[in-house]
Amino acid sequence: MKKLTVIMLSLAMSIIAGSVMAKGDQLLDQTHFEKGIKCASCHGNAEPREAVTMMKCVQCHNTEKLAKKTQDMQPTNVHNNRHFGTESDCLSCHHVHQTSENACVSCHPRWGFKVP
Amino acid sequence: MSNGVKNKMSKDNSSKSQELDQYTASVLQNGISRRSFLTRAAIGTGGLAVAGLGVGTASATTAPVVVGEQFGEVGGATVSFLPKPIAIADADIASTQTFDVIVVGAGASGVPAALSAREAGASVACLQKQAFAVSQGNTGSGVDLKTSDKSAVEALVNRLMADNQHRSHPGLIRKWAYNSGEAVSWTIDRIKQGGGQVEDQGTEPQHGIHGIADKGDRLNFVTSFCGPKPYTTGDGMRALAKTAEKAGVKFFYNTPAKQLIQDKSGKVLGVIAQTRDGKYHKFMAKKGVILSSGDYQNNKAMCDFFIPDLKNFERKQQDRTGDGFAMAYWAGGVIEPVGHTKMLHDFDAGPASMCDMPFLVVNRDGKRFVNETVEMSLMNNYLKDEHNAGHYSQVFDADYMTQAKDWPGHLYSPEELKNYMPEEPGEKKGVFPSIANTYKADTLEELAKKLECDPKNFVATVKRYNELCKKGKDEDFGKKASRMVPVLKPPFYGIHRRMRISTICSGILVNENHQVLDADGKEIPGLFIVGNLGGGFYGGVDYPLTVFGLSLGRCYTFGYLAGKYVAGLKA
Repeated sequence: MKKLTVIMLSLAMSIIAGSVMAKGDQLLDQTHFEKGIKCASCHGNAEPREAVTMMKCVQCHNTEKLAKKTQDMQPTNVHNNRHFGTESDCLSCHHVHQTSENACVSCHPRWGFKVP
Repeated sequence: MSNGVKNKMSKDNSSKSQELDQYTASVLQNGISRRSFLTRAAIGTGGLAVAGLGVGTASATTAPVVVGEQFGEVGGATVSFLPKPIAIADADIASTQTFDVIVVGAGASGVPAALSAREAGASVACLQKQAFAVSQGNTGSGVDLKTSDKSAVEALVNRLMADNQHRSHPGLIRKWAYNSGEAVSWTIDRIKQGGGQVEDQGTEPQHGIHGIADKGDRLNFVTSFCGPKPYTTGDGMRALAKTAEKAGVKFFYNTPAKQLIQDKSGKVLGVIAQTRDGKYHKFMAKKGVILSSGDYQNNKAMCDFFIPDLKNFERKQQDRTGDGFAMAYWAGGVIEPVGHTKMLHDFDAGPASMCDMPFLVVNRDGKRFVNETVEMSLMNNYLKDEHNAGHYSQVFDADYMTQAKDWPGHLYSPEELKNYMPEEPGEKKGVFPSIANTYKADTLEELAKKLECDPKNFVATVKRYNELCKKGKDEDFGKKASRMVPVLKPPFYGIHRRMRISTICSGILVNENHQVLDADGKEIPGLFIVGNLGGGFYGGVDYPLTVFGLSLGRCYTFGYLAGKYVAGLKA
């Protein structure tokens, strides 16, 4: 009985810890899932599952609108940049099943963007 | 094997084989092509196996290769970086359009090629993978023939051959030398027409050419400059694309070319490209296809194969996956053999004109590692390891303006240097603020920290260097006494440069009309290559910085020439 309590407690704590973490570091699959996006919405129904390219993203996310939305971003608007204009590959930074990354920083070391 | 190639050629056309220059003969012998695989496989596995595959005749246009269904083959090994074009049925083609000339890639050679073909009367489509024209750098150069002596131009050709370790095609270097003044002037004019920011700086920025021309000989340049930063040739090419569009060139953006269309004889008839919705489109070319799709620095497998020296360096560009290499290979083209030429620079951390000044240099450990008269363009060779990964710092003290005043290049004053210092407040002008990387400190320890190297090592290095300076003998690296300037008086300065990959500039075998040659040394009808996808123009370990802006100058020039040439062909 005591053992069970410990297990329950630690389980509860890990859930709490998980939900606190989720606020800042939630993976985008969770974000999409919460909006009702299913696996098949991006990966299709056929086996093997389709790899997802940027073309899937832009079916819902309009790149030009996004660039406008982030136009005041400092020190630069990453969604309208010198390399690709408004058409950078979303997946260079935003990952869905893994933690996203700041793809700018390797060349621009002082650009510490947090990527959702 | 080499005899095989020679014999076959002398059988086909003995006079032609006599005419083959050393460069072309060598690439035919050692380069990578479908044919070289077949021939080498014949050597490797014996005639029996090859006869069994039905490729005994070993001709470039024959029959299906049984091995390597999906990928290209090099020396019998399957290589993923040469994916075989997938079969696309006619039913899957959403549209077909026909032009005289199709240009693949809107960069520093593709946009000029498209415009020059259009001005020569051709109908032109330019397909671009990205959402707009893309290029890098600021300077593109040509020789001003009107104010240069021929002997000086030839001395320059000779010097560039030497810079390229004598591995390039002199015919292609001369093609640049004798046409670049005209081509670069044309490019400047057409960029201006498109509202671009460009000027001719003449011979003045060419610090590296001194001593090439014989005494009394004149050697002058047309040096186009798209800038100052953050404006670059990328913006310049977008302006040029505006001029081209006005002239009637049709641009198709976000439309990467996927494969070439060939008839049975091997003639290239057009291109299949894919739009973002996944649909395929045919672009038929009545006169020819010009590939100008650039290098392959972002294709790891291909880099590891052709230029393993690059493993630990950061890439400056994105999306350079070498698509044109695979297309040309499967069309029968020959890739220059392993040992490609690389270009690694950092003109942004501090002033470009101080990059070759032989100040004390330290690596990431804070240690001296080289005779500092080694040029920046070659410094990467000493910093290939994972830890240094191309990083080093130039170090000097408060007296640099007087101490280094006679050194090659041009010094920036302490006030001007502030523009390159991220710690200095205020707006930066003429630089990329996010990658400027120059620092100032009152103590050596403090400077070491700012330069991200070990303070203890750094202080010890400076101490040792100062001793050698005092002695007037560089017993560690043999630098001349006139270049040994001590680091004594604060404030101390450091420029932390990061050698990253600008481009790889080796490519596919072409002749002097930029037409692709097959493994028999014969022209592939309808297929041309310009820009960094084209071979024969370099060949050394590194891109030479003798002529500042040679790379873009060559791109403009060959684009300009190839566009005109292909437009002039019979449909």
